[in-house]
Amino acid sequence: MRRPRGRGRTRREALALMGGALAWSLAGCRSDPRPGSTLAHSLVDPDGDGLLAAGPGVPLRDRTELGGGGRPRRVLARLAQVSDVHVRDAQSPARVPFLDRLGPRLGSAFRPQEALTAQVLAATVASVNDWDEADAVLLTGDLIDSAQRNELDWALALLRGGSAKPDSGSDGYTGVQSASNPDPLYYRPLVDAPRHPGLLNRALEPVRSPGLRPPWWPVLGNHDILVQGEVAPSEAIAAVATGDRLVVAPEVGLGQFAERTRLSQSEVDKLLRGGVPGDAMRVPADARRAHLSPGEAVTRLRSEAPGRPHANRDRLNYAVGVGSDLNLIVLDLVRRDAGADGLVTESTLAFLARALADTGERHVIVACHQPLDASAGGDAVLALLDADPRVAAVLAGHTHRNAIAPRRGAAGGYWLITTASIVDFPQQWRALRLIATERGGVALETWMVDHAGQPNDEDDLAGIARDLAFLDPHGGRPARAAGPPSARNVRLHLPTRQLRQPRRRRRLPALPPPSATPATAGAGDALG
Amino acid sequence: MRATLGDALAGLRARRGRTALTGGGVFAASLVLGVVATAAYALATGFDRSADRSDLASVITRFDGEDRDAVDERVRVLPNLAARAYRTEITQVRLRAGGRQVHEGVVHIVGDGRRGYAIVEGRDVRARGDEAVIEAGLAREWGLGAGDRIDVGRLGSVRVVGVALSPDNVAFPLVRTARVYLSRSGLVRRFGGGDPAVNVALLWARDESRTDVLLSQARASAGGLRSLRFTTRAGVRALVEQGAGLVVALLVAFAVVAAGLAGVLLVAGGRSDVQRRLPAIGVRRALGAPPSAVVALHAAEGALVAAPAAAAGIALGGLLAAGPVSRVLEALNELAPGAGAYLALLAVLWVAVVGLVAAGTAWPAWRATRESPARLMRRGDIRVPGGRAAGAGGRPGVPGGRAAGAGGLGLLGARLVTAHRARFVALVAVLGAAAAVMLLLLALASLLTSLRDDPATLGKRYHLTASLDPRRAAAVEAIPGVSDAAPRYEVNAVSATALGSPLRLIAYPGDHARFEAAALAEGRRVARAGEAEVGAGLADAVGLRVGSILAVQPGAARELRFRVVGIVRALQDEGRVAYVRPARLTAALPFLDAPLAVRLEPGADREAVRRGLVALGAEPLFVSGATGDDRGLLDVLAGLLRLVALTVALVCLTSLVQALALTAAERRGAVATLRAAGADARALRRLLVGAALAVVAPAALLALALEGLVLAPAVERLAAGYADLPLRTGRDQIALVTIGLLVLSASASAWTVRRLLREPVVAGLREGA
Repeated sequence: MRRPRGRGRTRREALALMGGALAWSLAGCRSDPRPGSTLAHSLVDPDGDGLLAAGPGVPLRDRTELGGGGRPRRVLARLAQVSDVHVRDAQSPARVPFLDRLGPRLGSAFRPQEALTAQVLAATVASVNDWDEADAVLLTGDLIDSAQRNELDWALALLRGGSAKPDSGSDGYTGVQSASNPDPLYYRPLVDAPRHPGLLNRALEPVRSPGLRPPWWPVLGNHDILVQGEVAPSEAIAAVATGDRLVVAPEVGLGQFAERTRLSQSEVDKLLRGGVPGDAMRVPADARRAHLSPGEAVTRLRSEAPGRPHANRDRLNYAVGVGSDLNLIVLDLVRRDAGADGLVTESTLAFLARALADTGERHVIVACHQPLDASAGGDAVLALLDADPRVAAVLAGHTHRNAIAPRRGAAGGYWLITTASIVDFPQQWRALRLIATERGGVALETWMVDHAGQPNDEDDLAGIARDLAFLDPHGGRPARAAGPPSARNVRLHLPTRQLRQPRRRRRLPALPPPSATPATAGAGDALG
Repeated sequence: MRATLGDALAGLRARRGRTALTGGGVFAASLVLGVVATAAYALATGFDRSADRSDLASVITRFDGEDRDAVDERVRVLPNLAARAYRTEITQVRLRAGGRQVHEGVVHIVGDGRRGYAIVEGRDVRARGDEAVIEAGLAREWGLGAGDRIDVGRLGSVRVVGVALSPDNVAFPLVRTARVYLSRSGLVRRFGGGDPAVNVALLWARDESRTDVLLSQARASAGGLRSLRFTTRAGVRALVEQGAGLVVALLVAFAVVAAGLAGVLLVAGGRSDVQRRLPAIGVRRALGAPPSAVVALHAAEGALVAAPAAAAGIALGGLLAAGPVSRVLEALNELAPGAGAYLALLAVLWVAVVGLVAAGTAWPAWRATRESPARLMRRGDIRVPGGRAAGAGGRPGVPGGRAAGAGGLGLLGARLVTAHRARFVALVAVLGAAAAVMLLLLALASLLTSLRDDPATLGKRYHLTASLDPRRAAAVEAIPGVSDAAPRYEVNAVSATALGSPLRLIAYPGDHARFEAAALAEGRRVARAGEAEVGAGLADAVGLRVGSILAVQPGAARELRFRVVGIVRALQDEGRVAYVRPARLTAALPFLDAPLAVRLEPGADREAVRRGLVALGAEPLFVSGATGDDRGLLDVLAGLLRLVALTVALVCLTSLVQALALTAAERRGAVATLRAAGADARALRRLLVGAALAVVAPAALLALALEGLVLAPAVERLAAGYADLPLRTGRDQIALVTIGLLVLSASASAWTVRRLLREPVVAGLREGA
């Protein structure tokens, strides 16, 4: 209906306008924008009070230490790297949460947000799907926390899509975060600030996930096959995991002993068989907490990943093409006996050489869990990569910390990238885009993305998980796991060079003898 | 405007007596307001003012000595942390200066960074090992200042360079622990050696409202630190506010009552004044004065009377209250407000009083202007409307003529004052309310005094403590006159669910009610280990009820849990107390000391018991009422309440004088007739005393009823949050108030008679004709 010329607005129209303005202003004031790409918004604590809030976006900055340059021209491939999710059975008796009081050697043995890891994975899946561009998702290890079968069940269910109930034992929470636990070194949501009444019960309710839309490729991490990422499963440990005794605080003497010592497998078994002395709580026994054997873990990851990577049963080494311009080579560096550090075996090195030989004129990204420069035998892998002009980057996790360093080599060099974890602050994954630049060069654009959990929202468990992770005095905030700006949103230029296969080596680089890297537990993941 | 003011001033000059009377009322009411407002403001804001000035840390953490860098490694990563500082606290240090000494001195060796105390005289310590800053209480008590010297333990003589104040504890000598601050770098420079271990960490939160998060994370990071204890700024404030809060709330309530009383008096006075001057208003209106001019004139008159009287009353009230209040604040280690703040407060109060008086006089004038001038001029100021009160069969203008002969002058006075029934009822109500408030104030003051002196008021049934091995309880019980003896465990802790909430755990083996029996408000007494009776103050602070779990963080690695089985109204520690059995305490704190609490038989010879205990090797200490920290505070607060009661009495006096003056003015004719018939000053005094008693007697009864049935129960309910306040009015208080009212009656009568005698008899006779 047309308004007559010269006539003012009717009362109804004026009211409608006012209502619209009110609704608009309310919508505008409602809340911060949903977390996502840090190119648009980042989560910051501007006043240092421990509360996260939406901050400005962080633009890409160019890094040209390896040469190259030029403006982006064409996208060659897109990847999402999700690392160190650590889906955890927070009620498992096979855990050692008390080790935090010994300091950071074993990483975060206890996390205030540890009952919410499934919710965080679901929020991460939602966030990756929101990007809507990824050609593939790379899970760079430690998908689960302690090699338990139920942990892998939950994680795979959430990645596939569907629901998972992250509860073990009987219904309801029984663990170190119970309000009845008088040990103040654990965060108990009903007792300690910030208080979240009912959080533990809500954490155990079924978690729904849409499943990852892009194809995803797993990398094996130490926590996927080793108990607490340190010790190979054994009968003694299995008895503890499926039993009903959860140690809350060990005897003082044991703590001092563990602080000084790196334990071998046999020492761990011996300790467990006698029962770890100290204060303990009774939890309902659950056979689903049994540990996976390394072969079983590899088989399940290999068979349940959408692309069913061609890897053998022992090691999760494989290569896949991502589009027509990128070849992804996944290496399994996890020790099978004990220890969190990486180890390059002869078979892995040989596989890498074969995979490089089969790459053709495509760019290469290598992915592994432990950073190569901190793994036994990593130098040999690096030597192979140094000679290859097709290598763009090596992606790793494990350290729970963002870092990007140039690696210069005979063929010009490439980038060594480690990515922070999903379980610890900043709980971000890394978006990667391989691009062709104007001058005929190539660059790797990368930026961090927050999972979909909304900060300071009592209804959003993933958001609460991030809030708690931010406060954790043993976690990623004090450890500066987010890394410097140069390790986050950057455009990593590669030297301008021809994509060609290097001349074939007659022999593979030498690996250190196994005796030089004894298998002992206690090194921990590197956060801290 | 100027003309209005001129007219108003002229009118006031013409009615000097009435003006003085109105001014006196305003003065008395303002005096009350000045006292109460000064005390309430200074006490209510004392902690925050001092905490801000001294930059008091959000969290003060104490622990057994540790390497500073090791502690800092944990502390610096805490969330919501704005700043941190470390100290080494050494207790039981002998301090000596000017022939006085104390053995419980506490030396704080302070490092770099924020201090957490305010320098109120001199300067802070610098990097020298031979200078010290001392706490204000010590400086005041020993007469020390910058430039004096003090012996600090084995360190020897050091020069005092400054005086500091920090409200995290009450002042010396209320606590025996006098504090001295020394420079860490100065001591290291002087004596060499490494950095001493630290045992105190001061943490400042970025957001004070989220201190609990900082505290929670600090505790979670404290694995390995022994004897960890927390004191929070919020916890100290809660204790201070709960301790003085009731008194402050009462003072504020009394201020409101006083303001209400003053308002009623002033409005009634204004109304009667306007009533008396209706013909004059009618003439002004007939001459063309607009209603606004009439209203403005009356408002100006009210304001002109009120301005100097209110200023004098408020200023005097402020001055009277300032002394006791500053003593309270000094005892609490708090700072008094600055002169500017006081002046601003009193200025606001002055504006409010003057405004109230102006409005109280303008309002009835405005109502009068709504009537026609002719009608106004017909209504005189002497005759009571309707003439009903003109006497029961008596001659017009001589009410109760027969009664005067029959019942005497006193009865005649009573009939005069009750003739205007509505006003009589209002007057009795006002006086009764004021007297009830006085009774309540005196009852509260007596309660505070008994809290100071009588341990039974706090629910304590034991009479002394003896530092003896608990296993010797049987030997103590064998001393003649001793009824019971048992070890008394006491632990200072914080709530584990609200780390800023301090509390005190008290434990006895067996039935604690033999030794301490605060009134049970809900639930039952503790019967076994793992159960707790909690004070209502604690229950309120951390949300406990019967059946819930009390989680406590003592200075131990693990928390303690108790099931709440009862809630008691405990005055001890403002109700932040829990009574438990000792098993869990001694398990968590194996080296806990427990002196024997000793209960005596009725009529026991205390001295004989004391000798018996000394013979067993004990050092007996007789129990007093409040803890040593509170005694001075209670004294001053009781004094303050009595001062307020005195000023309320002044309000009563003024209202009584006004009532008698008004009655005498209305009955000028009758009074003149009596004088013409030979009534002298004595006879007039009898007449007016009768009138005063007619008001005071029902007012006193009303006061007793109001205090006993309304005010005391209301205050008890107000305090029931944490304490059982026995606010029963004693006979002595009733007698005091009654005598006071009689004295007031006599004073008011004498005052009014003097005014009456100044007026020529003829003037009164002319009006009565």
